[in-house]
Amino acid sequence: MATILYHGEPNGPSLAVLAALAESGLDTGPNAIACRAIDLLAGDRHRIAGLTETLALDFAVEGEGPVLVIDGEAMTESVFVAQYLDEVAGGALQPRDAYAHWQMLMWCRRITERCAPAAAFLGLRAQGADRLAAMSDDDFATLVAPIVSEDLKQRWHDTRTGAFPDAADTDSRAKVAGAVDMVEAQLVDGRDWLMGPLSIADFETYGWLMGMVAILPEAFADRPHTAAWLARVRARPSVQSALARSATGRPEAAWAPGPEINRWG
Amino acid sequence: MSDITLYHWEPNANSGKPMLALMEKGVPFTSHYIDMLAFDQHKPDYLAVNPQGTIPAMTHGDRVLVESTAIMEYVNDAFAGPDLMPGDAQDRWRVRWWMKFMDQWLGPSFSMIGWSVFVGPMVRKRDPEELAAAIDRIPLPERRIAWRKAINGSFGEAELAESRRRVALGIALLEAELGKRDYVGSDSYSLADINIFNSTYSLPLSQPDLAGRDKTPNIMRWLKRVYQREAVAKTWAMGRTDLAHRYSLIMEGID
Ligand SMILES: N[C@@H](CCC(=O)N[C@@H](CS)C(=O)NCC(=O)O)C(=O)O
Repeated sequence: MATILYHGEPNGPSLAVLAALAESGLDTGPNAIACRAIDLLAGDRHRIAGLTETLALDFAVEGEGPVLVIDGEAMTESVFVAQYLDEVAGGALQPRDAYAHWQMLMWCRRITERCAPAAAFLGLRAQGADRLAAMSDDDFATLVAPIVSEDLKQRWHDTRTGAFPDAADTDSRAKVAGAVDMVEAQLVDGRDWLMGPLSIADFETYGWLMGMVAILPEAFADRPHTAAWLARVRARPSVQSALARSATGRPEAAWAPGPEINRWG
Repeated sequence: MSDITLYHWEPNANSGKPMLALMEKGVPFTSHYIDMLAFDQHKPDYLAVNPQGTIPAMTHGDRVLVESTAIMEYVNDAFAGPDLMPGDAQDRWRVRWWMKFMDQWLGPSFSMIGWSVFVGPMVRKRDPEELAAAIDRIPLPERRIAWRKAINGSFGEAELAESRRRVALGIALLEAELGKRDYVGSDSYSLADINIFNSTYSLPLSQPDLAGRDKTPNIMRWLKRVYQREAVAKTWAMGRTDLAHRYSLIMEGID
C-alpha cells in the first residue's frame, strides 16, 4: 500500500519532517513517499480518508502536525517520524554513539516540550487566530466536529475566542527566548550544526524558531551564531525543497493549534 | 565496582524506568536511594548531580544523564544484553509514540492524582516551618507550586477533574492497544512496556473502577506477563515503601 506524508505549510513540525524526508532520499524513486499538502488550520488533518489506525493522529501530543500514513496507520510526532524516515533510509541524521544520541533526544525534548508549545501559542495568536475568529459559528462547528481529543479541541476554541492569557504570554516569550539562548550557547564553539554533525535536532529546532524571528525579534538580537545557523539550515537543499512546497509563499506565518503548555511541572 | 550510579526513589513512575531497564539489560549499578518524601532530591549533594532537583539521574563514569525515558534509551544503546527496542522501524516509532504519550499526556495526570491522594497526605503531617523551608529550597518554580498544592491539598477541582478524565481515557486507549498487540506498540517486550508498566502496575488497586479483570482484560493479561519477569521481581524488591508492596498484593490477586 502507498505511503503518504500529509503535511501542512513547511513551518514547525511539517518543515522538520519534510526536510528529514528530503535528506532520507525516500521522496524519490519507484517506492517514493508521496507528499500531500493539507491546510492544518482548516482542520484538514481530521478528514484524512482511508485510515485504519488513528490513535496517533487523534491523540498526538504535538497537536496539529504532519501525518505519515503507512498501510492505513497514521504516524505522528515530528521527531519520531523523522527518526523513522532516517532509520528506514539507513540515514545519518542521528548520532550513532549512545551518549551523543541521548544528547540529541534531550535537545529535541527541550524543543518539543518547552519551545514548541510557546511558539505555537505566540504564532497562532499573531497569525492564525483572526482567521478562526472570522469564521461563522456553523463553519467553525463543522471544522472542529471530527476532532477526537477534547483538550486539542479546547485549544481550537481558545484560539477562536482569543483566550491567550497574559501568564501564558509571559511564559511563552521566556521559553522561546530560552530556546534561542540554548542555540546560541551550543554554537559558540564554532560548530556548524547543533549536535556537531547535522541531525534531526537542526530541523526540529529550525522549524519552530524560523517563524519566531518576526514575532519575537528581541530574542534574536545580538545572537550572531544563531543568525548564521538559521541561514545555514535554510540554505540546506532539503530545507529549500521543503520550503518550495509552500502554497502561500509565507510558510513561516502558518500556524495551527500545537502542543499544550505543560499543565503539571 | 560499577561505574554506573543510579539516583532513584521507589520502583515507580519515573524512577522505576531506568531501574528496570538496567535490570533487564543485566547491567550492574550502584543504587543511590533518594527519599523523595524527605526531599533528598533538593539537598546539595544531589543538586550537585542534577541541579533541577528531580529524580531519576544516572552517572556513567563522568557523564550525567537525566530524563527517565531518555536514560532508558541510553541504557539500551550503550550496553550489551537483550535489545529493548523492536527491530522494525515502524514498531520503534510506535514504542516512542507511546512513551511520549505517557511522559507528557497521561503520566502528568497520574502524578497529579498521586500527589493529591498519596504524596501530599504523607508529607503534610510534618512541622509546617520545616516544610516551608523545604519548599523554598526547590530549584524549579513549577515544582515549588506543585509541592505547595500537594501539601496544602489545594489542587483545583477543574484540574483534578481533567486529570481524572485523562486517566480514564488513557486506560481505555491502553486496553485497546493491548487488544491489538502482545505488548505496548509491538509484539515484543520493549522500553514502552517498562515505561508504561511503571505507571500502571498498581492500577487494579488504585483505580478499581477503571481497571481490573472484568473491565480491562487485555491490560490484566499484559500486567501479569510483565509481573512475571525476573527483572521486575528484582527491581520491585528494591522498594522500601508500601508502593512496592502493592506489587505483590496485585501479583497474588491476579488470577
Ligand atoms: N521528566 C522527568 C521528570 C522527573 C521528575 O519530575 N521526577 C519526579 C519523581 S517521579 C520528582 O523528581 N519529583 C520530586 C520533586 O519534584 O521534588 C523524568 O521523566 O525523568
